[in-house]
Amino acid sequence: MRLELKVKTWQKFKKRMEPGLKEVKFSLSRVRKSPLSLAGLFLILLFVFIALAAPYFAPPKYLHEPYRIPRDGYSATPRPPSRLHLFGTTEGQYDIYYGVIWGTRTAFRVGFMVVGSIMIIGIVLGSLSGYYGGVVDEIIMRTVDTFMSLPTLILAMALVSALGHSLDNVMKALIIVGWPSYARLIRGDILRVREEDYVEAARAVGCSDLTIIFKHVLPNAIYPLLVMASLDVGAMVLTAAALSFLGLGAPIGYADWGQMISFARNWIVGPPGNPLAYWYAVTIPGLFILFFVLGWNLLGDALRDILDPKLRRR
Amino acid sequence: MAKLLEVKDLVTNFYTYEGIVKALDGVNLEIEEGKTLGLVGETGCGKSVTALSILRLIQPPGKIEQGKIYFRRDGKPSKKSSYLDLLEQSETFMRKVRGNKISMIFQEPSSALNPVYSINDQVSESFLLHRSKELSEGVIKEIEEKVEKTNSILKKMTYKMKREIYKKILVDQNSSLVKFLSRISVVRVYNHRLKKSARQKTIEILNKLGVPHPQKLVDRYPHELSGGMQQRIVIAMALACHPKLLIADEPTSNLDVTIQAQILDLIRKLSQDLGTSVLFITHDLGVVAEMCDRVAVMYAGNVCEISEVKELFKNSLHPYTKALINAIPRPGSKGKLKSIKGTVPNLINPPSGCRFHPRCPNQMKICRQIKPEFTRVENNHLVACHLFTPLDSEHLTGFTGEE
Amino acid sequence: MEMRNYIIRRFLLVIPVLFGVSILVFVILLLFSPAQRASVFITDIRQLRDIQGVIRKHGLDAPIYIQYFNWIKEVLRGNLGWSKTAQQPVLQALFYFLPSTFELALFSVPLIILVGIYLGSLSAVHPGKSIDHATRTLAIIGWSLPTFWFGLILLMIFYGYFRGLLPPEALGTEAALFVKSQDFTRFTRINTIDALLNGKFWIFLDAIRHLILPVITLTVVSCALVMRIMRSSMLEALGGGYVTTARAKGADEATVIKKHARKNAMIPVVTISGYIFAWMMQGVVITETIFNRKGLGWWWARAAVQLDVPAILGAVLFSGLLFVLTNLVVDLMYAYLDPRVRLG
Repeated sequence: MRLELKVKTWQKFKKRMEPGLKEVKFSLSRVRKSPLSLAGLFLILLFVFIALAAPYFAPPKYLHEPYRIPRDGYSATPRPPSRLHLFGTTEGQYDIYYGVIWGTRTAFRVGFMVVGSIMIIGIVLGSLSGYYGGVVDEIIMRTVDTFMSLPTLILAMALVSALGHSLDNVMKALIIVGWPSYARLIRGDILRVREEDYVEAARAVGCSDLTIIFKHVLPNAIYPLLVMASLDVGAMVLTAAALSFLGLGAPIGYADWGQMISFARNWIVGPPGNPLAYWYAVTIPGLFILFFVLGWNLLGDALRDILDPKLRRR
Repeated sequence: MAKLLEVKDLVTNFYTYEGIVKALDGVNLEIEEGKTLGLVGETGCGKSVTALSILRLIQPPGKIEQGKIYFRRDGKPSKKSSYLDLLEQSETFMRKVRGNKISMIFQEPSSALNPVYSINDQVSESFLLHRSKELSEGVIKEIEEKVEKTNSILKKMTYKMKREIYKKILVDQNSSLVKFLSRISVVRVYNHRLKKSARQKTIEILNKLGVPHPQKLVDRYPHELSGGMQQRIVIAMALACHPKLLIADEPTSNLDVTIQAQILDLIRKLSQDLGTSVLFITHDLGVVAEMCDRVAVMYAGNVCEISEVKELFKNSLHPYTKALINAIPRPGSKGKLKSIKGTVPNLINPPSGCRFHPRCPNQMKICRQIKPEFTRVENNHLVACHLFTPLDSEHLTGFTGEE
Repeated sequence: MEMRNYIIRRFLLVIPVLFGVSILVFVILLLFSPAQRASVFITDIRQLRDIQGVIRKHGLDAPIYIQYFNWIKEVLRGNLGWSKTAQQPVLQALFYFLPSTFELALFSVPLIILVGIYLGSLSAVHPGKSIDHATRTLAIIGWSLPTFWFGLILLMIFYGYFRGLLPPEALGTEAALFVKSQDFTRFTRINTIDALLNGKFWIFLDAIRHLILPVITLTVVSCALVMRIMRSSMLEALGGGYVTTARAKGADEATVIKKHARKNAMIPVVTISGYIFAWMMQGVVITETIFNRKGLGWWWARAAVQLDVPAILGAVLFSGLLFVLTNLVVDLMYAYLDPRVRLG
């Protein structure tokens, strides 16, 4: 008897979810068919693998500070790739291989934490603003306008200087700088969806405001947000790298891609007979950044094409 | 009456990701001079594709595969030699035909008009594209009058010089001299005068179309006008150069009923005044009854039946047409609406033989194997159905008599 | 008539935004310690010795809203403090470093717009073909490039490998000396323009040679963005009903693309040119640092590292003001292009 009931409920659930599942399956099939999204996905998974397996690829020298790049001496001149140092060493004899492997973890940390936070803050504030309107909307939107009338890097630079030069503060600064665009996006979607008939219907049936937001508005507004978020992971990592490059981010010797490039700054041009002598110092960390960001950009683009209901079924 | 346009065995395909969509499978049509032919059918049967094919506006991935589109040359008597096959002409020739000899108006007036250009800009464009000779003759005449009027020798000389330059431009618009002169103000002033001339003509034609206050309206932008007014502008653009054929692709489907009546009246009146033939595409049989002399019924890329309007309603022959007319709800009738069973076929894998056979109540063995050709039944009534194909017809070759 | 109303309305909108920016800058200011904040109020290096006096004088230990009024009063008077990295008052330093940055922008912005629009348009008119794939690939790689790395790579190749072909800095040693000498008059302090005005063509060429790499570095990311936006908006325009109508009127393909489609497609591009400008200001910070060109970006980067508070705040204020004004111009251009905006 109990089993029958369970089976019946499960069947009912499956039936209800059927159209949703069909859409998900269709999305996945589109992902599989699009070479660009596959490439992006591949790159990202590759980096995930590197990040997760970091302790195995590059066992930490300082057990309690895995992000501290081991130094093989103190001389300034970088040394080319060798048995001991797979990608060579950069200025100050920091091992490049170690730096880029653990730098992957740093990148994911920065990317996910920043984008995750701004998504939450943006959704909350944007929803409040869009749904309730009035004074709340005015205040939040004026704040958004103010933040969006300043270039992100410069504002971030100012914030990091004010809070102190560290990677955590870089993340805080990027969060402060980043949430406005999400708030504005959600607000716009809410304003649009609010006028739709199904929201009116939900209200007529007696749904509370919160239910309406979660059940009706957000699922419709989520797709452009996801696209923006995946593009932003790349963008945030780029900005954080730029800040580290300028010396405003991670402390010296921390595994961070931007910082590794700054080490290479004095070694762009080698001695007269061999100008490309120190190519590894600048090229390798840069390629890691490039492919990481490229992966997220490809994914974001592909998601945009796949999730947009108008473009889906061409 | 002379034939203006004859479409023979037109085949148009679309090469899509999912396969080849055989949109037009041998379309046959005839339009007489000064008359209106209605083209009816369900959505997706190929009416718009036919229209675009006539003007050769089919863009990739579409392609006109084969067929003939005979169009009557101007002023020639109705002989075989006076027809041109439009599918064989060059693109340059077609551009002279489009908007000039054959015009087209579309379903959605708000998207047919470019939102960033004024009404004047868009309607004048028709004149400037095809009537520039006339317009410049007008400009030259103006200068001549100025030459007559002025007494001052100096002014006379400048005007005469201008006249000579304009005449030269008129003769050869693309010469390098003209291009060079366009850098300096001379040709620019000439173009400016041309535009003024065109503007004048625009206001005239807007007047003819019953547009209120054309002088003011002409500088407005499309989004400032109502749907009905926008459609009038589109019609103005199409009729500006007095085309011999106007193709109207569902021009009133997006307008409300009262405006619809006005626009239909307008089209009818203008086509009568100008002697323009009209190919009126619609899915509304009521509009057909009102506007058209003859009617062609299309289904899934083929024309099934062509006849005079009254004849079609009184005595339709093709099973599809009969079903369509039967499906119209009549006041006073009771009971379930008579719909046609089945659905419109997928044109990537259309049914063999007659494309209507899966839904046809009179389906025969032959219908599955051989596509019916047009048979002429009395009163200029053509039907493509095996119920009417004569038994000795050569069209029946290939029929095996087996399933 | 409507245009004038729109312009007035748009101008009025500037005020609350600038007010918001000033508040934001003030909040950042408060994050610093009082001693650091004091340097924002002084204009003379000697005043640094009497920090306590300055703190008292400008009420830096007073309630917040009073501090805000004091500060905004000074700002509006033109007193933005003393910059220790520039060794001059901030306002003066802004004017001092501006010409170099302006020169970069002068050569970069047209390049971004022209190349981006041209390639984006080309890509849209031939969708699916090899030119389309090529430009789209370039665009997405360009968008993913770290600017600072790209600049360094360019230097490595064109300065290192090609032995000084395209060098960093603003001018070569010889030209730099000449420019400082008596024989050269500084009209605008922009190297290229001044060189032409002085009739010294070789200096002009030298300056151009030094500009090539920084300009490429600066433009590549923005170009990618413009390309993508132009492509998608052009595709949309080409699918519009008015394009079919224009063809049905007998217009030739070139007119259809140029006159009808492009004007509509330009509208989104104009909208993002505001962002291009913002990107410029960020890109300049990195580009000038890498190529050692002493402009605004170079100064601000050092200020951030050395905690030169007045300079940092000046950077935010200045870039904010510039951005707001740029957006104003962009919005006005947008209204000119799209009649639906000014009348709607």
